[in-house]
Amino acid sequence: MKAFRSHAVKFGKGAAGIAAMVAGWEAVRALGFVDRRDLPSAASIVETAAVDLWRGDLAPAVLATIGSWAPGLAVAAVAGAGAGIALALLPRLEIATRPLLEFVRPIPSVALIPVALLVLGVGLQMQLFMIAFASIWPILFSTKAGVEDVDPRFVETGRVLHIGRAARIFRIVLPAMLPSFATGLRTASAIALVVAITVEMLTGQPGIGSYIENVRLSGLVTGMWASIFVTGVLGYLVNSLFVTVERATMPWSNENRDR
Amino acid sequence: MTAKGRHIAPLAWQAATILALVAVWQWAALTYPAVYLPPIERIARGYIQLWHGELLHSALLPSLRRLGLGFAIAILAGCVTGVVLGSLRSLDPWVRPTIEYLRYIPAVAILPASLILFGATDQMRIFVIAFGSVFPVLIAATDGARRVDPILLDVARAVGLSTAERLVRVVLPASLPSIFSGMRVALSIALVMMVISELIAADDGLGFYILRNQRLFQTANVYAGVLTIGTVGLGLTLALLAVEKRVLSWHRGWRGLTETGRG
Amino acid sequence: MDESAAMNEPILAVDNITKAFPAGATPILNGLTFRQEPGQFVAVVGPSGCGKTTLLRCIASLMQPDTGSVLHRGRHFDNPPPWLSVVFQDYNRSLFPWLSVRRNVAFGLRGSGADDKRVDEALRAVNLEHAADLYPWQVSGGMQQRCALARSIVVSPNLLLLDEPFASVDAQTRIDLQDMVMEICQTMSLSALLVTHDIDEAVFMADKVVVLSTRPARVVEEIAIDLPRPRDQLATKETPEFLHLRHRVYTLVRKQAQKSSR
Repeated sequence: MKAFRSHAVKFGKGAAGIAAMVAGWEAVRALGFVDRRDLPSAASIVETAAVDLWRGDLAPAVLATIGSWAPGLAVAAVAGAGAGIALALLPRLEIATRPLLEFVRPIPSVALIPVALLVLGVGLQMQLFMIAFASIWPILFSTKAGVEDVDPRFVETGRVLHIGRAARIFRIVLPAMLPSFATGLRTASAIALVVAITVEMLTGQPGIGSYIENVRLSGLVTGMWASIFVTGVLGYLVNSLFVTVERATMPWSNENRDR
Repeated sequence: MTAKGRHIAPLAWQAATILALVAVWQWAALTYPAVYLPPIERIARGYIQLWHGELLHSALLPSLRRLGLGFAIAILAGCVTGVVLGSLRSLDPWVRPTIEYLRYIPAVAILPASLILFGATDQMRIFVIAFGSVFPVLIAATDGARRVDPILLDVARAVGLSTAERLVRVVLPASLPSIFSGMRVALSIALVMMVISELIAADDGLGFYILRNQRLFQTANVYAGVLTIGTVGLGLTLALLAVEKRVLSWHRGWRGLTETGRG
Repeated sequence: MDESAAMNEPILAVDNITKAFPAGATPILNGLTFRQEPGQFVAVVGPSGCGKTTLLRCIASLMQPDTGSVLHRGRHFDNPPPWLSVVFQDYNRSLFPWLSVRRNVAFGLRGSGADDKRVDEALRAVNLEHAADLYPWQVSGGMQQRCALARSIVVSPNLLLLDEPFASVDAQTRIDLQDMVMEICQTMSLSALLVTHDIDEAVFMADKVVVLSTRPARVVEEIAIDLPRPRDQLATKETPEFLHLRHRVYTLVRKQAQKSSR
């Protein structure tokens, strides 16, 4: 009973905090720094969001974005994890490819969108490529670090128990590096979303990005803010999804241990 | 193999790999000419041009200026807000949901809104950069402030510091290690936001330069622009690391001490 | 209350304080009362876990007791009074790692003025002038504790609170630090309140030993230590008076400890 009460209080405070933010929004509106038409009321934004989702084109746009975000991320997850594991276990490969990786690392993936446009033109293929390319790096580096950080005593235990090399990788190294992989995947999921939306804004590929731009260019300011609001919710849900899955599958990991 | 030999061999391998890749590229560019495979010397020429004269002022410097200002604003706002929030535990349940929502908004979605509010101006781009990069700093600062050793706060009270003095002279320095790790993440985000803000609705900057050359099929310049952005990113990251090393020299020693349990 | 009257007050008067936290749990302190006169060196001992640190925090006015009062020179304070200094137990957690030894000491003056003469004096009193520009992680545990000590005396306090200050140093360093503290108290005419679990240390250093019971803690007995000063680590500790007092305190504390394990 006590736990419920404390949760209810926390919830109440959080809700009050959000209410304060909304009040702040309305205050900024009232101050008149910006044209009031450019800053619609919070209530109208939420209402428009609901309407556009239910009866408008917002829901298909969201689905279109997810429809490129998910496959791109999935490809990156497999490729990035595979490459990360390989690089961690094969030192010669790591040394040979290190200059290439360190060369590509400082380049923000979005800067390569024009290159992708040159090579692949406009279209879903190009978008998928960009999403996958941008997402690979955090997954690769996290996985690689995860494998490298596996306590060597775990592996030694495997050797002492006469477990073969391949089996050691699958049964010891893989589970041990899973939390690092998961963190990299979660980071990549946010990057993938940004890249997906950016490509849509730039090339008109169907999705949230092009939806927001269309609505803006049509002068539907409230509709634009509504779609931004929904995009924020999407971003939050994506992160929550990954966190929930992590907690469910890896309760033993360091991040989840103290819950 | 001598110790030095062991260092040289991998270095030689790496140099060889890069040279080999460059050689393969050049061979491919000359043997199978394609729009997206320009010869190396044209890329190099484009790259050098970006660091001189007209292009320097129309592409590189505007980008750097926006990045610098946006990043600086993000650091300032993030540190101040984070340190205050982290110190006042009681505020946490009030602000947490709001921050949790704001931090996961894909920052690119803010761009159209900023366009409407600020127009296609530098302020708009600086705002977008700042908005995107403030959250890693804010969260790191909050975390760092929350974890300040309570004994240090006791010392501050025993010595008679006011709350403001305590925040600035104890909480802030103690949070710096955490803040710097947040800054590293924020820098890469700021770089991304800089590029995005210059790909969409821009008339100068590196992102605009790349896009314009892509539309004109001047591929070598596109690659040169990408390389320039990479150079900027690398340079700033190294600079940040150097600053961190200097400012946090006490932290490395301290952590080493507590880890080995000396004293 | 005017100045002269304040000077006749005990420098510290703890009156029937109780403290429980979290609120409603078994009290840690329950009806604790004692006084300290100006110039006295008081040691507080008791069985492990009896709440000595909580008591010290209440005395330092870092924490307010639930009931009862803590008066410094007859007045109540919400925050540590300006003439009170504290030396904390975990010295490596109480020094600011980003400040040099000198600046840590200067912090006690609320300043960062590294050129202050008073800082130099404090450093000299603890023998740390040569290490003044080093950082806490670069010096030994004993030196860190001396730095904390210097920081607490740089403000020229009247009352020095020490929370098990020598618990984490080796025996040899402990002896040197004990002598150093006693000398400083003598030179600067300080009152001192030492919380310790080391009974030898308590009897050796103090004018009065306050023995606490187990939780909830109250004062079981106050034992006057009238050994002559200056005290010597070898000579004093071999005198029959010392041994007798030590035995008394030890037996008392033992009895309290046994009570709790029943």
